[in-house]
Amino acid sequence: MRYRIGAIAALAIAAWLLPYQLDAYSMHVVDVMLIFALLAVGLGLAMGIAGQINLAQVAFFGVAAYGTAILTTREGFGFWTAAVIAIVIAAAFGLVIGLPALRMQSHYLGIVTLGLALAFTNWVTNAEMTGGAEGISAIPAPILPVVDLSNEYLFYYLELIVFAVALAFGLFVVHTPLGRRMRAMRDDDLAAGAVGVEVPMLRMTAFLLASVYGGLAGVLYAGLIRYVAPETFSIANMFFLLAMVIIGGRQSLIGCVVGAVGLTLVRELLADYPTYAQIAYGSVVVLIVVFAPTGLAGIPARAAVAARRVGLLPSRSAGTPPSLRPFQPYEPVTAETSGRGPILQVDGVDMSFRGLKALQRVSLTVEPGEIRGIVGPNGSGKTTLFNVVSGLYKPTAGRVRINGRDMTAARSFRLAQAGIARTFQNLRLFKQLTVRENILVALDQTRTHHAWRYALWPIGIWRHDNALRTEAGEILGRFGLDDFGDSLPGALPYGIQRRAEIARAMARRPILLLLDEPAAGLNGDEVRQLSQIVRSIRSSGVTVVIIEHNMGLVMSLCEQITVFASGAVIAEGVPADVARSPKVIEAYLGDSAMSHDVPEATPTEVVP
Amino acid sequence: MQIFIQTFIGGVSLGAIYALVALGFSLVYRTMGLVNFSHGNVVMIGAYIASTFYLSAKLPFALAMVIALGVTGLIGAIIERVLRPLENKDFDLMLIGTIGFGIVLEALAILIWGATGHAVRSPVPAAPLDIAGIKIRTYDLVVLAIATAATLLLMLFLQRSKRGAAMQAVAMDHEAATAVGIHVGRSNAIAFMLGAALAALAGGLVGPLLYVNPTMGGTLGIKGFAGAILGGFGSIPGAIVGGIAIGVLDSFAAGHFQGYSELVTFVVFTVIIMIRPTGVFGERTVNRA
Repeated sequence: MRYRIGAIAALAIAAWLLPYQLDAYSMHVVDVMLIFALLAVGLGLAMGIAGQINLAQVAFFGVAAYGTAILTTREGFGFWTAAVIAIVIAAAFGLVIGLPALRMQSHYLGIVTLGLALAFTNWVTNAEMTGGAEGISAIPAPILPVVDLSNEYLFYYLELIVFAVALAFGLFVVHTPLGRRMRAMRDDDLAAGAVGVEVPMLRMTAFLLASVYGGLAGVLYAGLIRYVAPETFSIANMFFLLAMVIIGGRQSLIGCVVGAVGLTLVRELLADYPTYAQIAYGSVVVLIVVFAPTGLAGIPARAAVAARRVGLLPSRSAGTPPSLRPFQPYEPVTAETSGRGPILQVDGVDMSFRGLKALQRVSLTVEPGEIRGIVGPNGSGKTTLFNVVSGLYKPTAGRVRINGRDMTAARSFRLAQAGIARTFQNLRLFKQLTVRENILVALDQTRTHHAWRYALWPIGIWRHDNALRTEAGEILGRFGLDDFGDSLPGALPYGIQRRAEIARAMARRPILLLLDEPAAGLNGDEVRQLSQIVRSIRSSGVTVVIIEHNMGLVMSLCEQITVFASGAVIAEGVPADVARSPKVIEAYLGDSAMSHDVPEATPTEVVP
Repeated sequence: MQIFIQTFIGGVSLGAIYALVALGFSLVYRTMGLVNFSHGNVVMIGAYIASTFYLSAKLPFALAMVIALGVTGLIGAIIERVLRPLENKDFDLMLIGTIGFGIVLEALAILIWGATGHAVRSPVPAAPLDIAGIKIRTYDLVVLAIATAATLLLMLFLQRSKRGAAMQAVAMDHEAATAVGIHVGRSNAIAFMLGAALAALAGGLVGPLLYVNPTMGGTLGIKGFAGAILGGFGSIPGAIVGGIAIGVLDSFAAGHFQGYSELVTFVVFTVIIMIRPTGVFGERTVNRA
């Protein structure tokens, strides 16, 4: 930490003294470089942090630059007033460009944003208001008392301050609840919805952030160059910007800045050979995506891993090896259950996928404080039922009530906010978040629109984050995961990942917990621990519904069992009765004989 | 009415070229789930090679075309081979990787042919046909004929040949295809080469209609891609319908909005795709958990 503060101070001083070392042309290059760095940070936030492919960043830049130019030269506004309005326009434009993200992702989003960016260039090259292909010149310089901002040396300091604040704000966002949610959404948007992340709002927020950064850069550009023309905002420059972010490392804002600085310098060095420069950075992009997907920012970590492997660095596991500690049971609460209605009521639900009837008139009632088992052969519709209840599927017919409220076809984050938590058959932890961060995402119960506090009251966010961290520590301790809090889930043994997923679900403080084959892949001892965990969760007042193939576990754990076959409920009752029901024996127990170790799920139930 | 029909026919002819571009996109996408953002630049390279051999080397148009198909097929194979480690792993990274290739291809074209473009004269007599007062450029008919033939050949290949059937199998489930002994990498490489060859065909055909220059790939690629999505990404008939629809849209937008035609085309495309993200022939994908 001390080193870090020292390094930041040294960088700040170096940046402050930099102009004294530079001639006028180099100063200009550095000024342009800072503008690109600002753009790259914005693009990194949208693409690297939130996972939204945004090929319209250069259009946000252009909207603000043209906005400033038009407002100052045609409407007679002062520079600062024009700048503020231009940033607001860029933000509004960002929200419009972001709208398609609500409906489509990945390459679709890429093409739509790219198309809209082309539409923007098309408009500025043709419209009279924007001066056509000639652009707009003679934009007045921004005026400050004492400081003459038409001097590029002094303008540098304005840029430096804006850039430092913007970068610090970006880093603050990344490491606090909003950024964590974005990273969770990037890693797995379904699981993010299931832990209450308002995915649509968050996607718009990502575009809003990207466009505000683009807007800032645009205003600074207009103030620096005092001339705007269409080619600055061309697709070629968009790809150049993209190359900066990819080469620097899209998931690290510092990486994006390094990429912007590096590529601007390289382009300057090869200014006489622009075509060779283009070949060079294009090839580097290809090499980076194939060999170092995390970009330059990821190289230190990869080098450290490599060094440990060959023994240059001491291996990290000095001292006691990490181990899974025992689960600390919850304090039992004697909840008043009589007089309350059922907690989950599924009423005549149908679900069909283009002719395939996955669920047929399924009805099911779960009372508060119950542990309900759901069993049935593979492909009988158990997971489909969970997906309907947790809001991933809209049922074709029928109703779902949670605590008496009709929640049919509500979005999954609404259901999570209403108190439903779930785990997934094929583990869906957020892969690039640590176990602790996985839990932190689930713990945060605030809504996305609370993010206004980022702009006006960051201290409040900081306090909130600290409170969440304390709570996350407690949950890690309760589930015996203390040693694994800072590991990425992918590096952990299967049994620990399973437990981490239950911990994440419980971090929501749900009223109803849906467990989808929690014992799959666990050994005998781990299954016993699971049984203890589930009982303790129930005694803390949470109702549990569990899909499981391990009949021993189901029989000992559940008061009530519902049996599915071919998408319909064929039996329901206490375990002993159900096991004797002739229909059940025929449909399930008969042909696979108390399938103790049904190995893996069929592809139809497997998550892609 | 005459103007309407003439605009429409011009649009269909341009649309046939977009459809060829879209076919290339779709073929690669359905086989390996990859969107090849360098596709437009491959179109541009195809246009350059075809026009260079046709104009400078004075080869017959058809022969120049064949050379272009061969060279771009090779480029396609190289792109696929380099990006193969990412296949079925990270689609976003692959997408960015193809953008990288696009950047390189564009720079290479500038190195070889210079930054300014050249015009290509029509390989067939320029006098338009006059049918009931409607003037049709003969070259439009050539484009339509070649595009139709290429589409039919592609369909025949996918449905009748063993290699084509293997590619269909890879498209449906690459793991199951591996299990029954299909070489997925080779199948992907063939898809990529075919896609690139289709791009070159489109590029060669568009040469006499537009001005051949290093940046022509951007717009052509994006419009072809828009066509593929509009029709339903990965669907062969969808690519054709979508490509022609974009061509017609483009042609009417150019007639009514002149300089703003691109703006109108992309905005209309965005609105349509927002309403129906799966396109006309697209399959509704289901989230599984």
